[in-house]
Amino acid sequence: MLFRSTYKTGLLAAPVTVAASLAPHAANAHEAWLLTPDEIVALASAPMPALFTSSVTLGVAAAIGCAGTVAALHIEEIIRPVEQRIAPALKNTATQSGPLVMRVALAAMLGLAGTGGLPRHGTAPWLEPTLLVPDMQLSLIPGWEWLAACQLAMAVLLLVGLMTRIIGLCLIGLSGVGLVIFGAPFLAYAPHFMAPGLIVVLIGGGTLSLDHILGLNRRMTALDPQKIWRLAQILVGAGFVYLAAMFKLTQPTLLIAILQHGDMPTFGLSYPLIALIMTGVEIICGALLIAGRLIRPVSVVIIGAISFLALTLGETPLFHANLYGCMILFALMGRTWPATNEGPTSYERALA
Amino acid sequence: MRQLNLSKIGPIAIVAGFLGSLAIGAPSYNAQNTAPRSVFLTLSTDLPEPEIEMTASQDASGHWQLRLDVSAFQFTTLCVSDAEATPIGHAHIIRDGIKIASAYHPIVDLGRLAPGRHRISVVLRGQDHRALLGQGGLLQKQIIIAVPKPI
Repeated sequence: MLFRSTYKTGLLAAPVTVAASLAPHAANAHEAWLLTPDEIVALASAPMPALFTSSVTLGVAAAIGCAGTVAALHIEEIIRPVEQRIAPALKNTATQSGPLVMRVALAAMLGLAGTGGLPRHGTAPWLEPTLLVPDMQLSLIPGWEWLAACQLAMAVLLLVGLMTRIIGLCLIGLSGVGLVIFGAPFLAYAPHFMAPGLIVVLIGGGTLSLDHILGLNRRMTALDPQKIWRLAQILVGAGFVYLAAMFKLTQPTLLIAILQHGDMPTFGLSYPLIALIMTGVEIICGALLIAGRLIRPVSVVIIGAISFLALTLGETPLFHANLYGCMILFALMGRTWPATNEGPTSYERALA
Repeated sequence: MRQLNLSKIGPIAIVAGFLGSLAIGAPSYNAQNTAPRSVFLTLSTDLPEPEIEMTASQDASGHWQLRLDVSAFQFTTLCVSDAEATPIGHAHIIRDGIKIASAYHPIVDLGRLAPGRHRISVVLRGQDHRALLGQGGLLQKQIIIAVPKPI
């Protein structure tokens, strides 16, 4: 039993650990900075694709998206018995392995951001500490460089699993600080770090943590776990809708330039159509997360989409380690957090 | 059955709300046909447009020096996370399609260049590293440096 749970934990933590080990070779997020000078010149005069300027086309696309959502919700009803059958095993895996997966994923991002090990394209590694993501260079905000040390300390504490829930709160606070010091540009990132912060507050350090060994892994009883769990889903979903609207829908030529730069396979479709499909999928997935429906399928779709993009663009998975952590947890746990009014949860039993 | 249908209405309404409002709002924004704001910073038409002149010369040590004379533009070493659309910033120096330096001053040491023709481009950037756009597009200039073979 112990072997099985350790095996499962290892299996889930492995991708994140492998990603962390690849850190020194980190390169190329699918962001503007990876475009070559010639691509920038071409992008400056690239015409807006007609697909994105036509109310009719976008209206039809929205109608297709709605129809697809109705179909997906119908399929949800059909697959519900299967989901219910496998849910206990998935939830058990989530409670056993989830804390470690989330801790490693966030520690990797925090540690690399704090040391400048995950720089944006064109910046040498280990020179420019950032706040959580490659774009947010702390040197641009005089007086806040000390946040690099904070992130490093948080990374170490997360790795060893000490004061994990407090670090989760600190991560939420750090996302808020990002909004204050970087302003609107940080809106693209804040929800996707507040959500994992909430999840860490909820799940704590898990069994493989110093918190567990020292008996510090107590649940914050004042908080309603289901509400926190749903808030995390809503934040992640809202983040996706925001990103889709602000970057893909209203800057499609940039997305197309990045796809062309990565020589992404088109499967016979035009790049503008691919960009439109990506935009629609992101909005629908975000909206379903906000609505709390199809959580598991949506999470699997998102994991697949960001992995496909990472592979085709040759970027490190570490750029999305926070999202991988959230999506793995969502895929395993589903919409609901295990009820606590029926005695101890499997998670609490595991901790006991 | 009725309960099932009601349980579907909420998510469909949310999806339809997002897709519908974006489908209505996006075309008018996109019709302005502006370059992506994540990459480009469009200067106000009220401001004089920067013009770039540049010369390259070889110094006694064999290094090539690029001298930029940019009107209505202020070089600065100060970078910010979200810049105003003003002609203040730095320049990216590109040699044969590859960025080789960021110039925060108008004199740039290109080092020694191999014999042959080299296309040197300069692109003005704002304080947040976005490329500056004027009325005519990207604010850039190119020259060719022909480096003779050593005798």
